[in-house]
Amino acid sequence: MKATKRAARFALPIALSLGVAISALTPAYAKDVLTVDLVNEPSSLDPHQQWNPDSYYIYRNIFDNMVTRNDAGDIEPQIATEWKRISDTETVFTIRDDVTFHDGTPLTAEDVVYTVERITDTDFASPQLGQFNKIIKAEVTGDNEVTLTTDGAYPALLAQLVKLSIVPKHIASTMTSAEFNEAPVGSGPYVFSSWDRGVSVTVTKNDNYWGDKGPFESVVFRAVPDAATRVADLQAGAADLVVTLNTDLAQQVENGGQGKVLTVNTERVAYFAMNSALAPLDQPDLRRAIGHAIDREAIVEGLLGGYPQIVDQMLSPAHFGWAEGIEGFDYDPEKARELIAGLETAPEAEIELATSPVFDQRVVQAIQQMLTDVGLKVSIETNDMATWLKDQQTSPEQAPMLTFSRWSCACQDPDGIMYPLLHSSSNWSRVKDGEIDALLDAARSELDEAKRAELYARINRMALSDADILPLYQAAIIYGAAENLDWQPTSNESLFINRMSWTE
Amino acid sequence: MSVFLLQRLGQALVAIFGVMTLVFFIQRLTGDPTYLLVPETATQADIDALRRSLGLDQPLVVQYVNYLWDMLRLDFGTSYVQNVAVTEIIMSRLPYTLQLTGGALLVAFVIGLPVGLAMAIWRRYRATNLLMGVVLGAQSMPTFWSGILMIMVFGVWLRWLPPSGSGSFSHLIMPSIALGLLSMATYARIARSSILDEMSKDYIRSARARGVTTGRLVGKHLIRNSLIPVISISALEISQLLAGAVIVETVFAWPGLGQLTVQSVQARDFVVVQGIVLLGAFVTISVNLVADILYSVVDPRIRKGGRA
Repeated sequence: MKATKRAARFALPIALSLGVAISALTPAYAKDVLTVDLVNEPSSLDPHQQWNPDSYYIYRNIFDNMVTRNDAGDIEPQIATEWKRISDTETVFTIRDDVTFHDGTPLTAEDVVYTVERITDTDFASPQLGQFNKIIKAEVTGDNEVTLTTDGAYPALLAQLVKLSIVPKHIASTMTSAEFNEAPVGSGPYVFSSWDRGVSVTVTKNDNYWGDKGPFESVVFRAVPDAATRVADLQAGAADLVVTLNTDLAQQVENGGQGKVLTVNTERVAYFAMNSALAPLDQPDLRRAIGHAIDREAIVEGLLGGYPQIVDQMLSPAHFGWAEGIEGFDYDPEKARELIAGLETAPEAEIELATSPVFDQRVVQAIQQMLTDVGLKVSIETNDMATWLKDQQTSPEQAPMLTFSRWSCACQDPDGIMYPLLHSSSNWSRVKDGEIDALLDAARSELDEAKRAELYARINRMALSDADILPLYQAAIIYGAAENLDWQPTSNESLFINRMSWTE
Repeated sequence: MSVFLLQRLGQALVAIFGVMTLVFFIQRLTGDPTYLLVPETATQADIDALRRSLGLDQPLVVQYVNYLWDMLRLDFGTSYVQNVAVTEIIMSRLPYTLQLTGGALLVAFVIGLPVGLAMAIWRRYRATNLLMGVVLGAQSMPTFWSGILMIMVFGVWLRWLPPSGSGSFSHLIMPSIALGLLSMATYARIARSSILDEMSKDYIRSARARGVTTGRLVGKHLIRNSLIPVISISALEISQLLAGAVIVETVFAWPGLGQLTVQSVQARDFVVVQGIVLLGAFVTISVNLVADILYSVVDPRIRKGGRA
């Protein structure tokens, strides 16, 4: 009797909490709702008014882009069905005639022109202005035809248009960006439904979509800042797809028996920059020694779970212009020591390595250790991200001595990464090499693809021979997904829901 | 009493003005938010254009005067990052923070008070010391660890509770416990010493002599008289909890103000940080005022003193 009483006393709260749990966690029978855990909520759903993954993960499902990239990374038609370059500076695009915005209004060439004008308007101050300001004119030049004029020949035009989300003129032009952000209307496979501030954004399937329709009736994007919590959500079945895991958490997902790891090498190139404007790094042999001292294989295999791919050029295979057969510095600490011993002025003082918590500190510390091992004195200088960014974007004389960073232009074009990091006119560049400048300028407006690729290969070889900058690896991005979710992540870090599928 | 209140209100206004000024200048000392708002590929011209549109190109004094003028009109500005009115952002987060703080206080109170009471009454038994050890242990666990532990046990293995997020009562349970554990031991300690204090007083001894039972003694006299320090510590604990909520909210993806604060500071979203800090100052000052008033409700001696 006593025992049953005690059992009853325990059973009640357990049953109660179970009841609560079941009502909270019961999944729908068919996969109606896909739940995605992002890091933060989007900053804005106006596609022209922000620049961060948590925003474009969502809005790229609400809006169509001018062109897109398929899973293999090739540029494919989306709103523009075909395009023809009619002169060095003019390209004619044919616009799809069967697309309607979510309010039922057809998408026209006028909307495309308005979109270009909106994002290139300096008063509008789009953070993406720099990606589109080479376009100086957009006009309707026929039925469903738009001609874009660029400031000089601009081979990266299509690569940039992959990110140009088309907005409806009749709506966006009549409201402020803040108002449009509250109720974004696009033409994409999902329709904006609601935004519960700080909690989640919900989108629902567009049944009238012109292309591949989405597999889920609705998708909920939630803000879950802690990565361990995102993994717990995945393992508990409370989330179907979670973003931005590190290698430890990826391991946890793989060993956990629930959910799987999806990974792809992005277009982010990790590099090590050395300030060659200042002593002692103005000596090419010291820079070469650093190149030989960094054990990239140890970093990739030992720290990063083997996911990233080592690269020897300031490009990744996801970029146009990736050249085979370029060999970088092999790991050879002996040679590094020899080079340092042979220096005219041996580096006595500590050399500062600038970093910010955003970067993987394990990699930063490993590099510090590797450089110490060959006899250099390196100290790590940590700042918050905004300060780090400001310090980087200055003249070489004031810039940090050593920098570990990762670069993405979100365009998969070499101009977007090599020009800012190697051209002497750029705030980011520590390199002052007239020949490299001339080649970068030539490549920037070279319309012949083969010639252009050859130019970038030459620049990469030149940068390597003087150790101007050290390419390290192509960074990987790691997602966790439910077992039943079929999806191939892409290098441009987009979550296109209508390319996913669900198998029970 | 009302003169006293007016005086306190005046002090409060001065304090809030001070906070407003401090938060304005300290934030601007940390540098420029525009670098975080543009992609790496942005040119200096893009950065300048954005800075102009945010009004950050103005001299600091002009920015400060504009800011004070806006505050006077109760216009708290628009977030740099989200392009949404700060009041809207904060008001959408505030209910979550209130729920969580309430839940945590309840947990701390419901566990801490009985523990303190038990330790005072049965102070001669060694087992009660053990109890304090447990409570202190619970307080010493960092929330980013205990929170994840709870998520793993109750969310992933047992699946009794949703692992993170918000929206139902069951979502509130784990974050409240994680946060409540932080204050529990404080409550237990304060309750213990305050009860011990009361127990040694004459009226208790005479009550015992009159033959009042222990239950009645504790329920009717002891607890009520020992509550004053507990209430005043609550005022302090609320601000403590708001600070602790930063981590708990991040771990449990609880969309409260703590999470918003961290994100806004990191993004240098000055306008949002100003709003939150101002709200925090307002709450801290009001809570202290309310505690003063509550003393007088619980303890007639203060009430009488106030009138005189």
